[in-house]
Amino acid sequence: MIDYHAILPEIILALTVLAVLVTDLVTKDKYYAAVVGMAGLFATMIPLLTLALCDDLAGCSGELPRVLFGGSYVVDQYAVVLKAVFVFAVFIALLLAVAYLESDRYYEGEFYFLLLAAALGGVVMSSSRDFLTLIIGLELVSGPGFLLAGWRKGDERSNEAALKFFIIGVTGLALLLMGVSLVYGITGTQLFAELAATPQAIVDEPVFALGLLFVLLGFTFKISAVPFHVWTPDVYEGAPTPVGAWLSVGSKTAGFVGLLTVCYLAFPQVSNLWGPALWLAAILSMTVGNFVAIQQTNVVRLLGYSSIAQAGFILAPFGAAAAAGADLQQAFAASVTYLVIYAVMNLGAFGVVIAVGTRLKTYELADWSGMYRWSAGLAILVGAFFLSLAGIPPLAGWFAKLAMFSATIAVGDIWGYSIAVVAALNTVVALVYYTKVVKTAFFDPVPDTIDVAALEGMDVAPPMQLALGITAVLVLVLGVFPGLVSTLAQYSSEVVTAAGL
Amino acid sequence: MTIGDWLTESANWAFLFLAIPTFVASVMVVSSRNVVRAVLYLVIALGGSAALFLMLGAEFVGWTVVLVYIGAVIILFLIGIMITRAPLTKSVDLSHPISAKAPAALLSVLLFGVVAWAVVESFGLETIPLPEEATRTGEIGLSIFTSWVIPFEVVSFVLLAALIGGIVLARKDEPAEVP
Repeated sequence: MIDYHAILPEIILALTVLAVLVTDLVTKDKYYAAVVGMAGLFATMIPLLTLALCDDLAGCSGELPRVLFGGSYVVDQYAVVLKAVFVFAVFIALLLAVAYLESDRYYEGEFYFLLLAAALGGVVMSSSRDFLTLIIGLELVSGPGFLLAGWRKGDERSNEAALKFFIIGVTGLALLLMGVSLVYGITGTQLFAELAATPQAIVDEPVFALGLLFVLLGFTFKISAVPFHVWTPDVYEGAPTPVGAWLSVGSKTAGFVGLLTVCYLAFPQVSNLWGPALWLAAILSMTVGNFVAIQQTNVVRLLGYSSIAQAGFILAPFGAAAAAGADLQQAFAASVTYLVIYAVMNLGAFGVVIAVGTRLKTYELADWSGMYRWSAGLAILVGAFFLSLAGIPPLAGWFAKLAMFSATIAVGDIWGYSIAVVAALNTVVALVYYTKVVKTAFFDPVPDTIDVAALEGMDVAPPMQLALGITAVLVLVLGVFPGLVSTLAQYSSEVVTAAGL
Repeated sequence: MTIGDWLTESANWAFLFLAIPTFVASVMVVSSRNVVRAVLYLVIALGGSAALFLMLGAEFVGWTVVLVYIGAVIILFLIGIMITRAPLTKSVDLSHPISAKAPAALLSVLLFGVVAWAVVESFGLETIPLPEEATRTGEIGLSIFTSWVIPFEVVSFVLLAALIGGIVLARKDEPAEVP
């Protein structure tokens, strides 16, 4: 008997995806397809809430974790929190896309369909506890991403972005599958719970280590960590900007979900192997991402490199704790905290970049000078999101940084302290380019080429206003009441005790 | 077990008989100058791998390779080449200089070396008995609709997304303005 309550979010989201496609078919105004999609996302949140709060509800039985299909699909606290992150991310991306797509002739209904299908992949991934389900979920996140990146068919940069993303994504997936086949070959199982109990004699085999290495490399592509990051800025720049927003949050979160779940649940006994690898990837990502970001003149490319650096920050506590052999649960909670806050603030940052870009028709930073003169509201939002990414209180980003630093320092050891120092230096470097954007928007003189009067008269489209409003409020609220997100993260890290590790 | 013992078993001769042509055909796929020939070599390579799966007792996988890859994908390749009138021979634009090919070749050889070393180191020449129940087609069919029903359904969404997205990207329409 299948526990339908546990997979109700997936069922509702899957039906929503199909409903969007049918709506697109029967309506003239493609806007309705997006409305159906958003309604479906709200409906998806309901079973997520009832699953999380099942104990307190009358008539609801069964507590988390709910184990389905012999342990290959598990709905636990961690899964519920990450499913909510995916639903939220795709909701904001959808709002951003509505305004963007209507500004030009794009295929709309199909766009919403693909975006929601990718979110479904993320939702499935969050619960996957075996390699087969996880990889197929990852496929569903990646496939629509490749297609959406090429949505601006008339633009060569978009074509290039799609092709580049496709080839690199497929290479990453091939590596991942190669690794899984090696691990499966030597252990005879691909279920995470059984892999975690692999006897030491098998763990010592070279094929096991090689398989693990390939699996790590495959996910490194997905989260765009150094040394597999080069595609990121090109793809974000060439793809339609709302797609960039989705890829930088949804697709990246999917990569992290895969990486954290696999490392944490399938390979906890070899954390001495993958820990140093993640530690190194974190340090390289922060440093390379930040130092290249300083030189960027295009805001979307800047966000691309910034997202590489942020991936480093997200990895830092987890990598350090694993490398030092310390308690993984705190580090896991810190990484999830950072991931959730990053999702909110990066979506907001992309949102405001799209709002400004649709007015100016350019993403060059030089043209953003003096934005405050023609739109104080947008300039303030630029300030809010970019300073949050930099980690300035009272915006949410500071708490992400705090959680990251306290977790890495709690690890102690040379691994923890060294990465904390590198992260601190990188935070300073990041401050340079984030504040450069804010300074340009507020204090620089308006260039002569910009017609202030014309820009002042333009409104931000209502869906865009809603997206910016939600993310801005969240960035402030989470910054002032950080307990909300750390509770979520602690809640999600209970997966350890649940899995009996 | 030594190489000499290994050669005394008739199954291993059957393996070599299948594996060597498969290997040669695979090399020809990537080195052939003519696209249609490359596709035909691919038929041999895929046929060989299907036969290897059959030898392992994986009849479902073996026949799936025959039906899906040789039956459908290869035909699709040939039709695709036909209707797009793609150039059949070497394209100058896509050829890399030797300076780009050499590191790629080196990396490939290194990768092969590492994987081969690890596999030999871990498995050696030992004989691994075939589990009886794991390979029957009927049981694979049952497990797809019981324990693997979620990945199975998700795959259908992957295919649907690829179909819809592919149609949009392949459709011909006037170039959109660059925002």
